[in-house]
Amino acid sequence: MAGAGSALAVLTLVGAGAGSARDAEPVPASRFTLDDARAFEEYPLYFAGDRVDGHELVAVLRRSDSAEFVSFVYGDCTPADGMGCAPPIEIQVWPACRRHLALYGSAPGDPGLERTTVRGVPAAVLDGGAQLELQTGRSTIAVFGDSRGRVARVARALRPVGDVPFAPQELPPPEQGAPESALTC
Amino acid sequence: MPRILLTLSFAASAVVVGAVPALAHFDSSDRYTHRSCPASGTNRIDPVNVVFTTWGTWGRAASQVEAHAGWTSSSGSLQSFVDHGACFGMHAQRASAIGSRFHVRVRGQHQDPALGWVAVAGAHHEDLVLFPIPCGHAVDSNGPGGSGFDQGRDELEQQLVAAGHVSSRMWWGNTQSFKQCDGDYAGSDGWTVFISLHQVNH
Repeated sequence: MAGAGSALAVLTLVGAGAGSARDAEPVPASRFTLDDARAFEEYPLYFAGDRVDGHELVAVLRRSDSAEFVSFVYGDCTPADGMGCAPPIEIQVWPACRRHLALYGSAPGDPGLERTTVRGVPAAVLDGGAQLELQTGRSTIAVFGDSRGRVARVARALRPVGDVPFAPQELPPPEQGAPESALTC
Repeated sequence: MPRILLTLSFAASAVVVGAVPALAHFDSSDRYTHRSCPASGTNRIDPVNVVFTTWGTWGRAASQVEAHAGWTSSSGSLQSFVDHGACFGMHAQRASAIGSRFHVRVRGQHQDPALGWVAVAGAHHEDLVLFPIPCGHAVDSNGPGGSGFDQGRDELEQQLVAAGHVSSRMWWGNTQSFKQCDGDYAGSDGWTVFISLHQVNH
């Protein structure tokens, strides 16, 4: 699973006159593993098990730069003609000090969001339901899918990564200060 | 009369994906490009990570990207953008080269009372993948320097700010990961840059 893509070598061409184009070194794969996620202690991680809504867990990603998350990708898609594609389901877990609902503003240009409560915690719906964000404990969970129904089903399946077989219906409330961005990393 | 023609053109070319009336403001409710119309959650391709404002028509965006960033190639595949629930083809694209390169796709959007003329764009850095299977361009995966989407946005902002343009950033949270043809994944860090354009073209 994780690491399958890392075996792929990427040969790059730097076009003549590229000027500002950056290095032509092979791109490092961004894969993490489920075992890495189980051992992860920086903030609580949640996923939907080995399979959810008909799709298997196919990749675990880790990002720690201008973004900070561990991601669980379910289901595959086929990039074509040099264009990427959206996997059917993705669950990203961020530390609440880096991603929280208060980041979304109301100035011109801000994306509209619909605030709600999901599994007992503050949440927001974006993209007509194709994106859902929940704040629980010290974590913010962002669920991406191709429909509101699928995203809702994935949200119901969320549980802690680790040996806990099922999470209770209600998720832990956000740590004090998390929704208002008062937490520090 | 021109306004009437513009309205007719808008209505005729739109592929409606939702019964949302066109309103006099910039709509950022869909923050991704799409493979084709109609737009859906399954045909998302890239995050929108740049918004040109003030005199941000698509033509000025293309002109000022060429002049200040030096991205003069117009090669690349076509993608679509959503505005007020309707899906439209892109207006322009500019790239720094034809191989490994910076690349941006642009679509002029609805004018906004506060932001002025607005065009949205998806910028990225991508590699031309030839081995083991030639598959075209793949956006750089997430890595220590940020993803290719972040690199493209940052490079464009840096070049235009160096030329005197004003920029700011807004959290859009459009961080969904996209599988690339080299098998790896890339996504935005969720920050969209707003760059003010001037009236004069180059």
